[in-house]
Amino acid sequence: MKSVTEILEQLKAIAENPRAQKDALIASGKKVVLTAPVYTPEELVHSLGMVPMGAWGGDIELMEAKRYFPAFICSIVQSLVELGIKGVYDGVSAVIIPSLCDSLKVVGENWKYAVPNIPFLPMTYPQNRKPEYGKEFTKKGYEKLIEELEKISGETFEDGKLAQSIRIYNEHNALMRELSEVLADHPEVTAAQRSVVFKSAFFMLKEEHSKVIRELLEALKEQKPGEAKIKIMTTGILADSPSLLNIIDSNGLQIVADDVAAESRQYRTDALEDTTALDSLSGKFCAMDHCSVLYDVEKKRIDLIVETAKNHGARGVLMVLTKFCDPEEFDYPLIKKACDAAGLPIILIEVDRQMENYEQAGTMIETFKDMLGKNS
Amino acid sequence: MSQEVKKERPAPDPNSAKYKLNAIAMKAYADAQAAKDRGELIGWCSSNFPVEIPETLGIAVCYPENQAAAIAARGAGAKMCEISEADGYSNDICAYARISLAYAKIKDAPEQNMPQPDFMLCCNNICNCMIKWYENLAKELNIPMIMIDIPFNPDYEVSDAEVEYIKAQFWDAIHQLEEITGKKWSDEKYKEVMEYSGRTSRAWLAATSCAKYTPSPFNGFDLLNHMAVMVTARGKVEAADAMETLLKEYEENHATGKSTFREEEKHRIMFEGIACWPWLRATSTGLKSRGINMVTTIYADAFGFIYKDFDDMCRAYAKVPNAINLELARDKRVKLCKENHVEGLLVHTNRSCKLWSGFMYEMSRQIGETCNIPVASFDGDQADPRNFSEAQYDTRVQGLTEIMEANKGV
Repeated sequence: MKSVTEILEQLKAIAENPRAQKDALIASGKKVVLTAPVYTPEELVHSLGMVPMGAWGGDIELMEAKRYFPAFICSIVQSLVELGIKGVYDGVSAVIIPSLCDSLKVVGENWKYAVPNIPFLPMTYPQNRKPEYGKEFTKKGYEKLIEELEKISGETFEDGKLAQSIRIYNEHNALMRELSEVLADHPEVTAAQRSVVFKSAFFMLKEEHSKVIRELLEALKEQKPGEAKIKIMTTGILADSPSLLNIIDSNGLQIVADDVAAESRQYRTDALEDTTALDSLSGKFCAMDHCSVLYDVEKKRIDLIVETAKNHGARGVLMVLTKFCDPEEFDYPLIKKACDAAGLPIILIEVDRQMENYEQAGTMIETFKDMLGKNS
Repeated sequence: MSQEVKKERPAPDPNSAKYKLNAIAMKAYADAQAAKDRGELIGWCSSNFPVEIPETLGIAVCYPENQAAAIAARGAGAKMCEISEADGYSNDICAYARISLAYAKIKDAPEQNMPQPDFMLCCNNICNCMIKWYENLAKELNIPMIMIDIPFNPDYEVSDAEVEYIKAQFWDAIHQLEEITGKKWSDEKYKEVMEYSGRTSRAWLAATSCAKYTPSPFNGFDLLNHMAVMVTARGKVEAADAMETLLKEYEENHATGKSTFREEEKHRIMFEGIACWPWLRATSTGLKSRGINMVTTIYADAFGFIYKDFDDMCRAYAKVPNAINLELARDKRVKLCKENHVEGLLVHTNRSCKLWSGFMYEMSRQIGETCNIPVASFDGDQADPRNFSEAQYDTRVQGLTEIMEANKGV
């Protein structure tokens, strides 16, 4: 049996080099379809025998993308286009981009001209997800996407195959939820290591990632939990910056739960039994909630952050705000108010994918740690 | 310290389009306040929410975007933005939203007051930022929100699936409003509203198309003011009457060689984006002083809501400027440039509007190439005065002017 460290090293290698993973998949005869943030129907791609790969941009300097975007568009989508122009995604068969926020709406339009060699497949989701007509519109959107994916894959869509893919995805969701809980009891697993578990999931077939997660869960059972650290919860769109994670680790903080879009938000909702597998998948999107890019007048996400932090014994909340992400920027004042009311300290760290100087973030997190330490 | 000496202006002619249009815009606030005073429930409404719904139901609404523009134009944009920023709202958020959230908190802005809402009417066909802004207002004020989701359409045509989705939401919104306000939908009243809206729209399209004449019988900055009525009141008989008056005036101006553009019209440009309300005079003067008339904007096309029935109305609302893909957005602008003999394109890269500005670089390149006209852009903001540099604006406009002159062999 592999050790926890060995498994985490294996996942780190994948998380840090998605390009190699993509090239290997293509070389093995697989077709790869990129899936942009925040939610896409990966199960459809999977059911047609292709590999969906998450594309959340990268930590690179923006050069070519500046020809398409003004500076105040978020760096996730700008770096996605930058990587496309630079040829990093060459060989993939298409990119699916949902229009869940204003920046995602414009990235698709720019993609057509900036990266013409990779077809853009738009995914239009409803914001009014709860009434039946919202589900119907989701299904129509999926049917349209299926037509495009059939052309790319050369395969014919089968509802039975989608049912199999849904089972694989639901199982993976459950494992990721379980793992997040188990890691809360293992302070010796660093924030950087926790991050690669989530990040690697975007670059592997889910059935394969599930296998590794099962091994990891088994290995964790055998490993004695390390010395306790100060428990915190993270929230935001993306929190995978190595510099930021190092600051969290070097300050002796442990992430015991997250509300990060690229992490736990991906795995909260399963597709439930329905008339057909396609209905089931449509229902999955409509059942989603607690997210800044999904309309919710009750703003239940805010209560969920407070509840999750409390349930996991987190002493504070770290909001990692991707600069120029207005869905998150709008939620922040209300999250802060709710945390303040609950006596839960919260800190806001603004990041982007071009950030090199983390000194200020370091100082802020150090002060935050000192404050949480005193509250204990 | 020098004191500005204001010239005495003649009293406006109450039969003029300008007078009538201003009166409609101001009456909207007064009507909402009067309804509130009578104890009726009133709403705050996003600018491209289907106005036919509150109009048919006889519900008074106010428009926070118009209010924010008025507050910004009258000099209080920064003050209001800073109030929201102190509450934790990033200064990267849309300035209309920051002003509106501040107003909901302090409930007084002498620059433009309006009654507080009992419910929110939101439609995201202009942006998803609108959803977040209204969610927060509904939550903070503890009032209901009615949400009509008109997604950004990545295709050139509006699909039947989208029309069905929008239609279902329109009826849902109507039923929710009936329940909240106790007012009832009337098909007859709706037909009347649709008829006025059609009349208003046809007159607007005809009036704005008068820019085809050289020189243009109007200064394009007029459109920025008049469009408020198109957005909020086009289903009213007064609006139809005022727009028909505007058309008549423009035709008369052409016939008599007059124009509301008071300078010699040396160049004709299209302006792209929302006006820089806090810097309206600076942006206008920078053009006028060079003899540049901004003859058209996408507003000229955008608010011509002509539809034949309820389904068609749903389709029309999915075709507003910020809900359409680059190709359709480009083609509409190319048509305006060609029909109105446009010689240059001036693009406002609006810090407040990610959606409007987000694919503008590529689209304006394509418009410039297709129409063979120069393109210049400047950084600004629709309501936050801190995001505009007069020097940069001047340099960019000068650059555009020089190319237009060179193209004419001046």
